[in-house]
Amino acid sequence: MQEPIFSLLDVERTYQLRGRGWRNRTPRRLKALDGVRLDLQRGDTLALVGESGSGKSTLIRLMLGLEPASDGRVLYGQRDLAQLDAAEKKRFAREVAFIYQNARGSMNPRMRIADILAEPIRLHRLCAESAISQRVVALLERVGLPAGLLQRFPGELSGGQIRRVAIARALAAEPQVIMADESVAGLDVSVQAQVLNLLRDLCRESGITLVFITHDLGVASYLCEKIAVLYLGRIVEQGPTDAILDTPRHPYTRALLQAFPRFDMPLKASLSGEIPSPVDLPKGCRFAGRCPQVQAACRETDPALTALEAGRQVACLFPMAAA
Amino acid sequence: MSEVLNLPVAADSQWKRRFVQPLLRQRSAMVGLAIIAVYVFAAVFAPWLATHDPTAQDLMASLQGPSAAHWLGTDSYGQDLYSRLLYGAQLALIIGFASVALGLAVGVAIGLTAGLMGGRTEWVLMRIVDGLLAFPELILAMAFMAVLGLGTENVVYALALSFVGPFARMTRGDVLQVKNQPYIEAARLMGVSTAAIVWRHVLPNVVSPILVQAGMRVSIAILLESGLSFLGIGVVPPTPDWGLMIAEGRAFITMAPWISGVPGVALAILLVALNLLGDGLRDAFDPNTRKDA
Repeated sequence: MQEPIFSLLDVERTYQLRGRGWRNRTPRRLKALDGVRLDLQRGDTLALVGESGSGKSTLIRLMLGLEPASDGRVLYGQRDLAQLDAAEKKRFAREVAFIYQNARGSMNPRMRIADILAEPIRLHRLCAESAISQRVVALLERVGLPAGLLQRFPGELSGGQIRRVAIARALAAEPQVIMADESVAGLDVSVQAQVLNLLRDLCRESGITLVFITHDLGVASYLCEKIAVLYLGRIVEQGPTDAILDTPRHPYTRALLQAFPRFDMPLKASLSGEIPSPVDLPKGCRFAGRCPQVQAACRETDPALTALEAGRQVACLFPMAAA
Repeated sequence: MSEVLNLPVAADSQWKRRFVQPLLRQRSAMVGLAIIAVYVFAAVFAPWLATHDPTAQDLMASLQGPSAAHWLGTDSYGQDLYSRLLYGAQLALIIGFASVALGLAVGVAIGLTAGLMGGRTEWVLMRIVDGLLAFPELILAMAFMAVLGLGTENVVYALALSFVGPFARMTRGDVLQVKNQPYIEAARLMGVSTAAIVWRHVLPNVVSPILVQAGMRVSIAILLESGLSFLGIGVVPPTPDWGLMIAEGRAFITMAPWISGVPGVALAILLVALNLLGDGLRDAFDPNTRKDA
């Protein structure tokens, strides 16, 4: 077995909240991530799934080195992200690309598309100055956009175009890992399909490792071979996409699947209530409050992520039977 | 709009579309620009347009009204008002633009440093700026003229100093806003160096409101400069300066109203034109007031 490209070793991320009022200054702690353990092999395509506030974005920001881990370690290859030296940082910046949820916001509104795409190429000196414009055109072509857009500004492009430009920019540095945050949320269904197909083809052709945040299980199943379901800062279930979608073992995963609209069955709200605040976590299983089959033991013991079968892990005391 | 956008446009016409057309659409700004063009023309070609040496005194011809020899009359020393007016335009425009340029350079540097560094550096810099802003511009400039002494250069320095505060504060505010935009983080993530981020990503996004502000400040600078000279703490007489000319004519306002009147009217028209242009610039480029964005 090859060595993982990313490993997260019991990563935690806590934010200090100052108490309200001048008398109550005891700081409270918000646990956005609570002991996440994850291995990513080269060529993997992983979807991070969960509700808003489950810690998906925090997790990806930690993996990008944008925020430090409060506890635990994030390893890229063999090296701790927090201890990279300047040369390694530069290499990391080239090999790992991030596609923002807000694609338009992630581009300087005063720069033309041509300059936006040329920036990473020039930065990492990937080709001669004279060949840059050719490469930029090739990048646009690869994401299915005409070269006529080169002289435009980001504000002049449509939502689908700008996301494809964002993908083109991510590809410009010839990365080995691409991380994408909700890259298709809020797009037209047709445009969404274009962007998804593009990402899928890229992963298949170039063997790029993909980490994709989404709250849409359909998108996750189309694009990714593996799924990790997050709930309140912890992975509650992970494994191969097909297996998880066919036989969810964690009640939360099943609830998410039931909340997914389908033609042939009536939609019922399978999850009652909001995701609890990560400030004051309940004792025991963090899903106990909303779990349809909660038992007395769930309120006492916090279940750890344990392997059920090959490549599948669930954090539940009473995992649901494989149907 | 969209049909225009779909045409493959060359880079230079893009520039036109972004910078020239919005300004052309501001009718009153164009009027202001035309008037300023006349002043600039008069200032640049003053040596050829003038009929007399602006500082040549001819006591025999003092306090004369407009005539064929002296088109706009003469002052109490017999200096030709028309020639003094032309050279005065030169001085006013030079002092106006130079002081704003200097104030802008220093103010933007302070604002950028404060906004980007944050922490203690920001605190110290902004308290200094607060100190500068505590004084009205004219008082601050007067205080500095009292320290530096009379002279054209010193007027520029004093005015520039009074502009540092507003520019610094404005730049810092915009930098704080831009600094947290995702594209700055995205650039950092791609490995762009800090200097390149400031130059390529921060500056272009804060520069247009600053330039608009600079355009408006030029008229304030000219007004302040004339005020300083009027009060006798600006340029040294007999330099042809409008404020100085107005002050000289004050004693003869009933006998020879043209001495104060000519530079006064010239100053008023220039200020109105500059304000028209400044407003037009703001309407065309300042994102906060842009209507069609």
